[in-house]
Amino acid sequence: MRDSIKRMLTLARRNLKEILRDPLNLCFMIGLPLLMEILFYSIFHKLTAQFEIRYLAPGIAVFAQSFTTLFAGLLIALDRGTSFLTRLYVSRARPYEFIFGYTLALLPVTLLQSVLFFVVGGLLDASFWSVGMLLGILFCLVVSFLFIGFGILLGSLCSEKSIGGAASAIIAGQSVLSGMWFPVEGLSGGMLTVMKVLPFKNATMLVQNAVSGYTDVWADMGLPLVIVLCYTVVTFVAAIAVFRHKMKCV
Amino acid sequence: MDVIRTVDLRKTYRDVVAVEGLDLTVREGELFALLGVNGAGKTTTIKMLTCLTKPTAGDAFVDGHSVVKEPEKVKPLIDVSMQETAVARHLTVAENIAFYAALNGQSKAEIEKTAARLYAAFELDKVKNKRADKLSGGWQRKLSIALALITEPRVLFLDEPTLGLDVIARRELWRTIRDLSGRMTIVLTTHYMEEAEALSDRIGIMKDGKLLFVGTKEELYASTGKQNVEDAFIFTVSGGDLDA
Repeated sequence: MRDSIKRMLTLARRNLKEILRDPLNLCFMIGLPLLMEILFYSIFHKLTAQFEIRYLAPGIAVFAQSFTTLFAGLLIALDRGTSFLTRLYVSRARPYEFIFGYTLALLPVTLLQSVLFFVVGGLLDASFWSVGMLLGILFCLVVSFLFIGFGILLGSLCSEKSIGGAASAIIAGQSVLSGMWFPVEGLSGGMLTVMKVLPFKNATMLVQNAVSGYTDVWADMGLPLVIVLCYTVVTFVAAIAVFRHKMKCV
Repeated sequence: MDVIRTVDLRKTYRDVVAVEGLDLTVREGELFALLGVNGAGKTTTIKMLTCLTKPTAGDAFVDGHSVVKEPEKVKPLIDVSMQETAVARHLTVAENIAFYAALNGQSKAEIEKTAARLYAAFELDKVKNKRADKLSGGWQRKLSIALALITEPRVLFLDEPTLGLDVIARRELWRTIRDLSGRMTIVLTTHYMEEAEALSDRIGIMKDGKLLFVGTKEELYASTGKQNVEDAFIFTVSGGDLDA
């Protein structure tokens, strides 16, 4: 067990270095969402409640995490494409150690994302500072497992050329179906049902409600959390199965 | 003493037979070159011998341990450098070595010793602080082979180690491989006949998953009536149809 944990941490350290040393990763995971947070708040917060910082900052924090799907997927697809993973398969590391290695590497990045976007939110609007921010950061970490899971699954399935398109579907899903850019009340029943069933709106709602307060614990927090966790578990089970299968088919 | 022995080894992918009834032995300390055209089954054979893929039938033994039943005993004895350069792109040479050594359970002190050994053997100290993606193709391939030596394997598998390298880089790598031979058993696959001629103690020729010939260069020349590996290989694979 001790050796296994050591191997997972070794893999995680390597993966984190690979991610942080690619400037493009930092641009998309930190730079772009930060710019969006500042710009959208500055331009729109007086026009519509949607862009008040108590909704915008948590929404941006979750949206930024969707990029971890792209970069986790890209790292795995590249590792597979260059035979780097094949080399590691010959080592003593086991499939679940690889999965944890990729997951652990991304957790500090997602933690940094949520703390940064919340702190910037607090600097843009001092009323944003609250104890709820801590709960929001905690839920951001929970949500990050979902996007990391998507990344591992897609990275195991796709080539380095196709991973961009596949991961874009998740990023677009988080952007369009999260309800962070427009009020969802005006949508037709069918569309709203789709949004409620998929994890994107639930993930955003969970973090928004944790930060800005809730009236019904089950409806505002419990149910979205259960939905996000269900998708996370299913995604990770699928990711592990596909990763193991690919290991056997090198 | 035979360090590798395959017994009626077979691998099929759906309807395609990649390796068929392979019976092969590789002796301790020798450099064995496995030759064949594309799709001959060389890489599939290496993947089975390194526990990367399971045989459909038959078995292979590394130092007496079955790759099917005892992969956990085979893995510590072997390492592999695949035909694509397999290094961590954004890590430096030193970090690549430290990473792979740590993954194989080495302590900090052991990692330092390993790094010193590899710097000396591959002249990697010149580039130890350079990121792998900034190295030339030749240096990347050297690093890739160096990584395979971290565990000091008894059997080293080199799959097309000089593929895509320029002539100077290839000759430098030959020197490195020659330095390793005798200290460990090396199984090498290659498309370059002059490489097999320059490096190998014995040669195996595969075609359509079957082993057509196994023996020394001299035995190959004698059986084909040719004077070099390339002509002898073409004669063996084509059955004499493509004789110059």
